[in-house]
Amino acid sequence: MNILSLLIFTPLLFGLLILLLPSAWRASFKYITLLATLVQLGISIWMYLHFKTGAGYAGINNESQFQFVQKLPWINLNLGSMGKMQIDYFVGIDGISVTLVLMTSVIIVIAALASWEIKSNLKGFFSLFLLLNTALIGVFCALDFFLFYIFYELMLLPLYFLIGMWGGARREYAAIKFFLYTLFGSVFMLLVMVGLYLSVKDPATGDHTFNIIQMMNPANYDANSVFAVLGHKTILGMPARTVGFVVLFIAFAIKVPVVPLHTWLPDAHVEAPTPISIILAGILLKIGGYGIIRICLGIFPEVASSGAFWLGLLGVISIIYGALNALAQRDLKRMIAYSSISHMGFVLLGIASQTAEGISGAVMQMVSHGFLATMLFFLAGVVYNRVHDRDIYNFRGLGTLMPKYTTFIMIAFFASLGLPGFSAFIGEAFTLVGAFESPSTNGVLPYWMAVCGSIGILLSAAYFLWTLQRMFFGSLSLKGGDVWKTALADLNIRETITLLPLALLTLVLGLMPSFVFDKINDSVLALVEFTKTVIR
Amino acid sequence: MNNLLPFLPGQLDQVLESIPFFMPEIYLSVLFILVLVTDILFGKNSAWLCRILACAGLVLVIFKDLEQFQLLLSGTHFLFFTQMLLLHQTSLMFKLIIDVLSVILLLYFEWDDDLKSHTKGLSDLYSITIAAIFGLHLMAMSVNLLSIYLSVEMVSIASYLLVAYSSENGWSSEAGLKYVLFGAASSAIMLYGISLLYGFGGTLNLFTGNLLPGLLAVNPIAVSFALVFVFVGIGFKLSYIPMHFWVPDIYQGAPTPVTAFLSSVPKIAAFGLLVNFLTPFIYFPKWTSFDFRLFLSVIGIITMIAGNFAATLQSNIKRMLAYSSIGHTGFALMAIVALCNPGNTSGKSALTFYLAAYALANIGALMLASYFANTTKAGDVNSYKGLGFKYPVAGVSFVIILISLTGLPVTAGFNGKLLVFSAVYSVYQQNHDIWLLLLMITGAITTVVSLFYYIKIPLNLFLRKPEKVIDYPSSAPYLLIASVLISLLLIYFGIFPDLLAKYF
Repeated sequence: MNILSLLIFTPLLFGLLILLLPSAWRASFKYITLLATLVQLGISIWMYLHFKTGAGYAGINNESQFQFVQKLPWINLNLGSMGKMQIDYFVGIDGISVTLVLMTSVIIVIAALASWEIKSNLKGFFSLFLLLNTALIGVFCALDFFLFYIFYELMLLPLYFLIGMWGGARREYAAIKFFLYTLFGSVFMLLVMVGLYLSVKDPATGDHTFNIIQMMNPANYDANSVFAVLGHKTILGMPARTVGFVVLFIAFAIKVPVVPLHTWLPDAHVEAPTPISIILAGILLKIGGYGIIRICLGIFPEVASSGAFWLGLLGVISIIYGALNALAQRDLKRMIAYSSISHMGFVLLGIASQTAEGISGAVMQMVSHGFLATMLFFLAGVVYNRVHDRDIYNFRGLGTLMPKYTTFIMIAFFASLGLPGFSAFIGEAFTLVGAFESPSTNGVLPYWMAVCGSIGILLSAAYFLWTLQRMFFGSLSLKGGDVWKTALADLNIRETITLLPLALLTLVLGLMPSFVFDKINDSVLALVEFTKTVIR
Repeated sequence: MNNLLPFLPGQLDQVLESIPFFMPEIYLSVLFILVLVTDILFGKNSAWLCRILACAGLVLVIFKDLEQFQLLLSGTHFLFFTQMLLLHQTSLMFKLIIDVLSVILLLYFEWDDDLKSHTKGLSDLYSITIAAIFGLHLMAMSVNLLSIYLSVEMVSIASYLLVAYSSENGWSSEAGLKYVLFGAASSAIMLYGISLLYGFGGTLNLFTGNLLPGLLAVNPIAVSFALVFVFVGIGFKLSYIPMHFWVPDIYQGAPTPVTAFLSSVPKIAAFGLLVNFLTPFIYFPKWTSFDFRLFLSVIGIITMIAGNFAATLQSNIKRMLAYSSIGHTGFALMAIVALCNPGNTSGKSALTFYLAAYALANIGALMLASYFANTTKAGDVNSYKGLGFKYPVAGVSFVIILISLTGLPVTAGFNGKLLVFSAVYSVYQQNHDIWLLLLMITGAITTVVSLFYYIKIPLNLFLRKPEKVIDYPSSAPYLLIASVLISLLLIYFGIFPDLLAKYF
């Protein structure tokens, strides 16, 4: 049994187990889920430790350099005039995925711990949770576009129900909005996927293939196919490869989310129950970033390069617009949701720069934001669970009432606003270095974009510090009076255990970024090198 | 009479030679007589006997279908009964799918409480259905304009009876009357078209003879008129726009199992008929009088858009599924457009897979509609509130079936969509026809639209709380078991589509 497949399907098996157990045992479901996520975390850590680095293990466009690979023929249809349809069950990881897989596993454990607050319909919740879990890990491991798409879509339905059934007051609206937005992106992705598949032939077998790595090699394209690199075919009068890139980019940009495709996010994040907010912010947004790196950049590097200015511009707009919106929010969770948009803008800016620093920074920022967003949403959930209110204006002086809680809030806020010593600083600094370097090396981004990115950091300091001051400093004053005062107990053991590793992780990654950089470095260099060769 | 005598032995020989190709249909006609006689002999209480007889007989017919694959080993296609009918891989596949689905449908008739409580009993229903299936077999094999018309009429007449079966119910009799009127009008138009074609070409035979060269010699506009008239008749069975107007009322008014019947098997047979009808035109190199690709593309796009958008406005489950089935017709037309290119075989297999997945899911959805109607008398989406918690198994399989209808992974519906897109794309890659691209874009957009209304059912089942808690009497579990099996099958063919698709 391949370790990666084990990692992907362990949660599914546990999910089926929960489905089969009688409802009378519902008290055990959360422990079963926690066990599943811990097993998964164990496997990921093992993989992380056994992950080989070096130029020979870079991955990206070289199939033999991927690790923990499993490749099984899955669907083989003879389609007559179109030749054979070759779909493989093909999973494997390189430097970029290994860090994200480990991050996902950690966050899922945290989300499982946060699920303790769920009180109704436990069987449904935990089996959907574990199904979602399988899909999330699968997306980061899949190297066959068909498989990738299956996992990508498989996330939607569980998330719809998780938001819609256990969410807040406007949950129906938020759930359907999320579903329609993502589906809109992904059905068009399906069209491009089919187009790519019919353009690419596996050199070994001569069949059309969904293999993402084969799609990266310009030599594998049929000369007459729509997406042929040298074919210069057009779709509706526009260059076909540009159309393909834009469609895929929109699909992933909805996930990231990039302004102006972000409007589902504040609703979904705010209405979702805490564990699902954690998964949405911590993991789901990274799938967008990962997809842009692996698929948009990998398959259409020359378009990404010529359109880098626009990608960078969208990144900068997301940074500034997200930050300005966060400044204007009264709802704590909404403020965090907008800060996510702002922080994910850095990822896009880093990717757009197409420099080693920029892309490393983007991956680092994704990992860092994964942990920090998890922490922030968990912390927002703590207050909400106690008093069912999240309005920043209704709290003051929590520092004296909940000292432990305030400590973690301060760590999370300062880490998020990019204080040196924390992971977000490294991520943001590297993306900005990449953006600054780009004008002088490859010339795809102008200087002012990096400057605007820095302004985004400044704005994030503004909203985080203002919130901190408003809610936690000063004399105690609560809207709910004494009732709230008794309800707002400090963190309990479970919450502390959940938050402590996150706080440590962001600190460790801030002090020792090599934990991430060592693993991703070869892959990032290979990616930058690969995009350059294709463009030439 | 005497003049004919010399030809008789030859004719008889031909008939006798044709019989091996007609075995499933002979079994069906014997079965029809048996069921009819049983009904007459044993009277009103013979429904259970008729049901067993019909199902067992149909299983036998399926075996006879399978035996015909042996015949196809010796040749790709056989014209028989003086070139009235054609047996080939595709028509045989369509027949097989129709028979398998019909077994499910025959079982389903009695599980619906509304239909079962009918005073007349269900015995007649079984004999009518068998007759309809006989007609469907003929539809899938017809290659002569006369046999096309006769088979379509045969199915239509059986369908009128099915729709109006519970005629004491106002809805049902209204639906039946409307259906008869519209059906009669459209088949009259079709007959007119056929007579024009006959007048132009001098023959009724599509594959042999001089029909197409004859048509080429005539003014293209006149030929186009005649062909459009024929498409009116075929369109009535396929229910594409603008021949769709009967669908919502009839699907809503008919007993639910009959709706399931109408929305699945006649549609498959009609697509088989359409393939047969188009094939000679596609492979006639000089054909320029009428652009089938353009015509069907436009109809496909309009049908997808109108069907899906209209469905978003509905709240009655059966009416919603009626509009959604119109949308699905539009999507399947996409595969037909792909198939309208000489040498394209992927369109045919994509069409078959798509239709099989759609029909199975649609039957499943209507079974669950029956199930909820049986237990709670709910026919409206809004009356499903919170029922998912009360009937979790039914709710979950409803979700799976709707996911398959929407076309999301991991279900058979997704693979059907993927195959259709691939088929269209491969043609687009060759000829860069803008209409193909528009078809695909419309297909993608309407998928999102379809989610919007399909999701209403899970939304009410699981996301909303019931207004008041009522304890409903429990009902027979057969429908539940059947729909769970269907949903499992849909997932199974979603993960392993090649197990089904390699036969198409």
